[in-house]
Amino acid sequence: MKTFGGLRVAVAVLAIIYILIPLIVVIPASFTSANYPSFPAEGFSLQWYAKILERPEFLEAFLNSAKFAALAALFSVIFGTLGALGIAKYDIPGKSYITALLTSPLSVPQLVLGIALLMYFTPMMLAGTSTGFLIAHIVICIPYVMRLVLTGLSGFDYNLERAAAILGANPLTVFMKVTLPLIGSAAISGGLFAFLTSFDNVTVSLFMVSPEMRTLPIEIFSQMQDAYNPIVASVSSVVIFISVLLIVILEKIQGVGKVFGGSHHTNG
Amino acid sequence: MEPIRSYASQEIEQQTSPIEPQKKPKSKKRKVWVPGLLLLTPILLFIFGFFVIPMLYILYLSFISTDNLGGVEAVYSIKNYTQLFSDSYYLSSLWLTVKISLYSVLVALFLGYPVALTMAKSSARIRGYITLLIVSPLLVSIVVRNFGWYLLLLPNGTINQTLMALGIIDAPLKLLFSEIGVVIGLSNAYLPFMILSIVASLYNIDPSLDKAGAILGASPFRRFFSITLPLSIPGIVSGCILVFSLSMSAYVTPALMGGANVPVMPVVIYDQINNLLHWTFGSALSYILLATTVISVAVFTRAFEKGKFKEVFR
Repeated sequence: MKTFGGLRVAVAVLAIIYILIPLIVVIPASFTSANYPSFPAEGFSLQWYAKILERPEFLEAFLNSAKFAALAALFSVIFGTLGALGIAKYDIPGKSYITALLTSPLSVPQLVLGIALLMYFTPMMLAGTSTGFLIAHIVICIPYVMRLVLTGLSGFDYNLERAAAILGANPLTVFMKVTLPLIGSAAISGGLFAFLTSFDNVTVSLFMVSPEMRTLPIEIFSQMQDAYNPIVASVSSVVIFISVLLIVILEKIQGVGKVFGGSHHTNG
Repeated sequence: MEPIRSYASQEIEQQTSPIEPQKKPKSKKRKVWVPGLLLLTPILLFIFGFFVIPMLYILYLSFISTDNLGGVEAVYSIKNYTQLFSDSYYLSSLWLTVKISLYSVLVALFLGYPVALTMAKSSARIRGYITLLIVSPLLVSIVVRNFGWYLLLLPNGTINQTLMALGIIDAPLKLLFSEIGVVIGLSNAYLPFMILSIVASLYNIDPSLDKAGAILGASPFRRFFSITLPLSIPGIVSGCILVFSLSMSAYVTPALMGGANVPVMPVVIYDQINNLLHWTFGSALSYILLATTVISVAVFTRAFEKGKFKEVFR
């Protein structure tokens, strides 16, 4: 019995290390003093962090990533929260089909979605524009926001809204003072998750970027395809730092596991 | 030691379900659905305009055949689809994609199952920590995770150096820009989904079954293979489907870990669209990839649902 349980735990520990190791090695590698990326790092220096500041394209890409992720999060939260309220609160005919439709962008491979939007945007003159990029990112964020807010609304007591209305509050006051505070945390975690989804995205972005408009993951992707350079390690470490920061906030608000928990999509 | 979901809590759930029909009259008061539809209008218009229509648009494009210069040859032709079978390059790429996806599924299953089992047997606190550890990497960009693997898989990288220092190999293995690299990258990226799928079905197993088995004298080994494993098959199946579908359509990991040496379908499609500008053929290949994934998943699911363990799917 001991050996069976012991083997199980040993493989489990190995598997968790396997999941984490690619992230663990990036950070020490970024402090290398050599001119080529390696792990373990050779020597110690902060030169590759200083070099980020000398390369305006990384800074610009980072600002683009942050700006568009914030905008995509904002729009997907507005659309998603309104939509989720509509589904959760009212007896709309065929609401399960509507939910399925609104979360369906998850079931289509991002590669195919990127291709479809590129071809659709080209005759509309939206290909390679920031508007097109933003629209594409809202499409990939909406399903996650929908799911998180719908989960948040599942325990919502509509009697509270009715009570407020009976006590004389107008519909706007009811929404601002009752509904919003109660679904706020679900909407915020939906927004944070949307931000990360957009900030991290590579596949859809590849079809939406232009030489003038690039994002940080795209910059890392092309650096990795051209010539490997330790600057990729320092830039990646910055990405890890930002992600960890947002993950900690997300964990405090909602619990990261909930985002992926339950019946997950088949992103095929 | 016990899975957290106790028998008592299951009973409560069973009791609450018959009450649900009584709730109906309450929701009937909210049968006005016009305001609900108004709330849904923006998101529905957005998804229709920027998801449904573009997807149908490339389906339409895939039936337009073009000549080598990009001029339209014929509308409503299936030439783009038949081209797949006339050129062995595309067929072998499709087969390579299926093969690599299957390997990734196997690696994820063998590494993921013990984690899921450990989570099911741990306290809620430990389980929370494990969940955080396995889910967090999903929220870091895939290019960053791929860069980590690049460092480990290089010819003079950590793995090759360790294996050589241990005397297991004499010359560095070709891990990067090879099928092994792609399988490592994909199984690493999608392992958390496998674990979460299996864990969900392990929670649903009635712990008293295991207890009954123990009382009747079955060894832990026997109890695992006769009770836990068969009852967790729905989770295994959904985890395998998830990892398979995600691997079939992954572009970034094969492009970075395999490069031109591992031309899986997504890499071929990307090349057709972005480099060769064969848009209509690329659209057809996209739908072929989608169809292959959907059909494989359907066959796989059906085989399990009709097979020896069909009872556990009810």
